[in-house]
Amino acid sequence: MLTSALAQDKVIKIGALYPMTGRSGIYGMDSVAAAEMAAEEINSKGGVAGYKIQFINTDSKAKPDYSVTVAKRYISDDKVNFLFGVVSSAVGLALTEVSKQEKKIFIGTDHAATELTVQNLQPYYFRVSNNTFQSMAAGALYLKELAQTKPWKTIAYIGPDYAYGHAQIEELKFNLDRFGVKYQMVGEYWPKLFESDYTSYITSIMQAKPDILVSGFWGGDTVAFIKQAAPYGLFEKSLYFHPDAGGNYELLSAMGDSLPLGLVLSARHHNNWPDTAMNKDYVSKFHKKTGRYPTYAAEGAYVGVYAIAEAVKKVGNPNDTDALVKALEGLKFQQPEDPEGFTSYIDPASHQIVQVQAIGVTVPNTAFPPATRMLGQWKVYKADELLPPKEWIEKNKK
Amino acid sequence: MDFSFIVVQLISGLTMATFLFLIASGLTLIFGVGKVFNFAHGSFFMIGAYVGYQFSSVWGQSFWLSLVCGGLFAGLLGMVAEYFFLRRIYGRADEGGFQILLTYSFILILDDLVKLVWGTEYKSLAKPPALSGAINMGGIVVPTYNVAVIAIGLVVVVAAWWLLNNTRGGRIARASALDREMLSVLGVNVPMTMTLVFGIATALSGMTGVLAAPLRSVTPGAGIEVIIDSLIVVVLGGLGNFWGAWLAALLIGEVNSFAIVLVPKWATLFSYLVMALTLIFKPEGLFAPRRVRRV
Repeated sequence: MLTSALAQDKVIKIGALYPMTGRSGIYGMDSVAAAEMAAEEINSKGGVAGYKIQFINTDSKAKPDYSVTVAKRYISDDKVNFLFGVVSSAVGLALTEVSKQEKKIFIGTDHAATELTVQNLQPYYFRVSNNTFQSMAAGALYLKELAQTKPWKTIAYIGPDYAYGHAQIEELKFNLDRFGVKYQMVGEYWPKLFESDYTSYITSIMQAKPDILVSGFWGGDTVAFIKQAAPYGLFEKSLYFHPDAGGNYELLSAMGDSLPLGLVLSARHHNNWPDTAMNKDYVSKFHKKTGRYPTYAAEGAYVGVYAIAEAVKKVGNPNDTDALVKALEGLKFQQPEDPEGFTSYIDPASHQIVQVQAIGVTVPNTAFPPATRMLGQWKVYKADELLPPKEWIEKNKK
Repeated sequence: MDFSFIVVQLISGLTMATFLFLIASGLTLIFGVGKVFNFAHGSFFMIGAYVGYQFSSVWGQSFWLSLVCGGLFAGLLGMVAEYFFLRRIYGRADEGGFQILLTYSFILILDDLVKLVWGTEYKSLAKPPALSGAINMGGIVVPTYNVAVIAIGLVVVVAAWWLLNNTRGGRIARASALDREMLSVLGVNVPMTMTLVFGIATALSGMTGVLAAPLRSVTPGAGIEVIIDSLIVVVLGGLGNFWGAWLAALLIGEVNSFAIVLVPKWATLFSYLVMALTLIFKPEGLFAPRRVRRV
């Protein structure tokens, strides 16, 4: 008893809330696997400052109220040092309140609602994966470049009818204006989240004839939409552009040969970009551990555990919360998604990680089965160009 | 909006209507015959899709064999559920509440079963090669598969109508909807009829799951999503009314299809609006026959 109690004193306890069931279950399972992988790597090298990392997860069921209850129990009973994780932005927004009240650091991974690092930012929240603003800024830059080689005029948007979809298109429009891109919006379509039948949307979009169709779907909705739209010839008429979550490996693996070539997609992490030893190592280790290649959510969780380790290394112990907040602000460390010559860092002002984003085109590639298409012909956007400008933050904080 | 576009949009609405009807028809049949509201009906749709995936994508069997096997498996599972569980609550004073609890528990169990066997990743199923192209009718492009789905839906409507009206089984099913006691006095095994009807309805749902799989993503939890849409259709059509369900599916499919063109921002609202108005002004259902008061 005594030894185990003593052993427990030298532990960095991370209390995570990832969904293990339901529509976003796969993101949760991948995140947990990757976070455990990071913890094992760190512990096998002797831990940090004499502490071992202990990672625990409870199924968040993607439900905010339930997650809040678990988070409070984590803090009061389990005495965790960090709150961690979550896929759903709704859960993230609920947990950031708990984190603020209890003065417990919350490391956010994967959830992308920009407001967490703008309107709702509080001192104890940090996000280690891109938000939708960064993806949409990269998207706007891509469209700007495209206009020079392949002139286009009109845009239509289709995405799920909830906060995530609406925020995306507003952020894209803002960034197009900011980078001086001329465009005409010819339609906005809002099917409900998890809609199963897109046929009427597809025929209506084809009538509107946009040059660019911007998509804000995620997960199975993307699969269903592409499958239904392909035989109509939509992808020959409009450029399908999906800069936030379209290039997720999950889509590439689920669709195989039925994924059309030439779609322009991105995601928060890619298994075949950047071509660095660190990324290759991360992807192959994940594959060895789980038997599958990771979806983008996994890398956020992997990096999140390393962020904690780096901060504890600086401070020397996991209990000095204020010192840890200072250590995390501006923290710079190498990640699988960092290309050669760039290191991700946490912006001290917004607590948002600043990263490079790459946008690619679907091309044949069988290196990551069962996918038979991966992204290629990359265009890479510099990290600091993608952050929200001051005037946008001020406007949205009001 | 030119003429050819109206036709294209009508056909799009028809595809949606067909799926709605195929799912709602089984729900309607079970309700009509046994007064059971099978909340888990969509889960049999999901099970069918997964079995279809197993046969077609994993074992490389033909799409049509997968369709039959998905239907058979869902049908058998439906019969097991009826025979061992639902049958025990018939005639209880609070049967309605038990129906909801029991069929809802089927949803949870079937979702977990699917996750255990196939995992939580999205699965995909290819169309049969012969139906993977598109038909071009003077500028009106319609995917061949969608046309096939619409045709299959029509065949099911006609076949079900014929079976219900011209076979002994159909007559028994219709009679048991009206007076189970009289039927059992006449020597018909009413409980067995109910098990069979349940099996046929869940088989239909399972087959529809396979049929929908090449157009959708096969995923745990798909059952809940389809059940809500088909609920609207069943309520609009008048509970237990087969033709009502068909007309309601057509109405919802087309209302949705044209709402997307005319008011894209509010399109998803319309099917709920139609249902709300129906419940306010004609709560027995838009297409329910006039009630005959029994003396």
